[in-house]
Amino acid sequence: MTRSPALSYTLVISGAPYTSQAPQSALAFAKALISGGHKLDRVFLYGDGVYLASSLVTPPSDEVNWTQLWSEFLMQTRTPAVACIASALRRGILDSAEQTRYEQPASNIAEPFEMAGLGDWVEATMTSSRILYFLPTD
Amino acid sequence: MPTLHIINKAPDHPRFPACLRALAEDDTLVLIENAVMALVFESLPLPPCYALRADVNARALSESSVTGVKMIGYAGLVVLTETHQRVMNW
Amino acid sequence: MHTLIVIDRLPYGDWHGREALDMAFSLAAFDRPVTLLFRGAGVNWLRPGQSADQLSQKSVERNLSAATIFGVSALLADKAALRQYRLSSDQLSQSASETDLTPAFYKQFDAVVVL
Repeated sequence: MTRSPALSYTLVISGAPYTSQAPQSALAFAKALISGGHKLDRVFLYGDGVYLASSLVTPPSDEVNWTQLWSEFLMQTRTPAVACIASALRRGILDSAEQTRYEQPASNIAEPFEMAGLGDWVEATMTSSRILYFLPTD
Repeated sequence: MPTLHIINKAPDHPRFPACLRALAEDDTLVLIENAVMALVFESLPLPPCYALRADVNARALSESSVTGVKMIGYAGLVVLTETHQRVMNW
Repeated sequence: MHTLIVIDRLPYGDWHGREALDMAFSLAAFDRPVTLLFRGAGVNWLRPGQSADQLSQKSVERNLSAATIFGVSALLADKAALRQYRLSSDQLSQSASETDLTPAFYKQFDAVVVL
C-alpha cells in the first residue's frame, strides 16, 4: 500500500473535559496522526474547550487528568497549543499577562498552553492541510 | 469533492438527521463517541459507514454487527482524513 | 477558500451561537470569504422583536445586524426550519435567503464549521 504524502493538521477542541469526550478523542487522534507520519501544526481550544487549559483541574485520583495528559503530549511533541483568549477570559482561564491587565488575583493557564486570538484559527484555515473539530457531545 | 463526515452526536440529536441529509453519494460517514448508538437505534436509515471501535466497545455494541458498518481504530480514522481533502465535523 | 459557519442552536440558552458568530467575524476581518447559515433551531436567531434586557444579555439581533457591515458575504436560512418555527423569510430581523440544505448546497463551500 502506498502512503499518501504527509499532511499537516490543526485540531480544534471545543468540548470541555469531564463534560464531553472531545479532549480524549482529540488526543487519541493526535497520537494516531503523528504515528501515521503526519504533522500536528497546532491545537486550538475554543468555547468550552478552553477548560482543558486550566492548571487547576483536579480529578479524583482514580480518574484521568486530561489537562496533564495533554500537557505532557504537547511538550513531548513540541506542538503549539493555544486557548482562544475571548473564550478563555470569559471562563476564568488566564495567563499572567491577562491577570495583570485585568487586575485578577491569580492566573491558571497550564503549560505549555498559550493565549491567542481567533486570528490563529483563521491562519490555520489557510495553512494546515486538514482542520478537525472535536465538538461537545450535546 | 468527496467529503468525510465525522459525527459525535447521539442519533436522537437534531444534528444527526441534518448530517444524513447532507451526505452526497461519494461522501463517507464516520460515527464516533455518542453517534455509535446509531448502530442499534431503531428505524434509522443508516447508510454504509464506519464506526470508531473504541467508542463501540465502550458502549457494549461490539456484538451488534450491522450490515454495511465497518469498525475502525484511530489510525483508520487518520487514513480516512488522508484520502478525503474535505472534512466536516457534526 | 470560502467558509460556511453554521448556527444550529437556539439563541440565549447557550453561547455556541455567539462564539460561532465570532468565528465568522474573524474570517471577515481577515478578508476571508464567509457565509452564515442558520439551520434547524438556529433560525430563531432571525426572529424579529427580540428583547433580552431582562436576561442581562445582549440581543443577538443587534450582533447580527453588524454581520454584513463586517464583511460576511451572506446570511442564509434553512427553508424547512423557517416553516417549522413559523417564520416567513420576509419578516426576519435580518434579510436572509431561504436555502434548501441539499448535499450540493454544502459542496459549494471549501469548509463548513459548526460548534
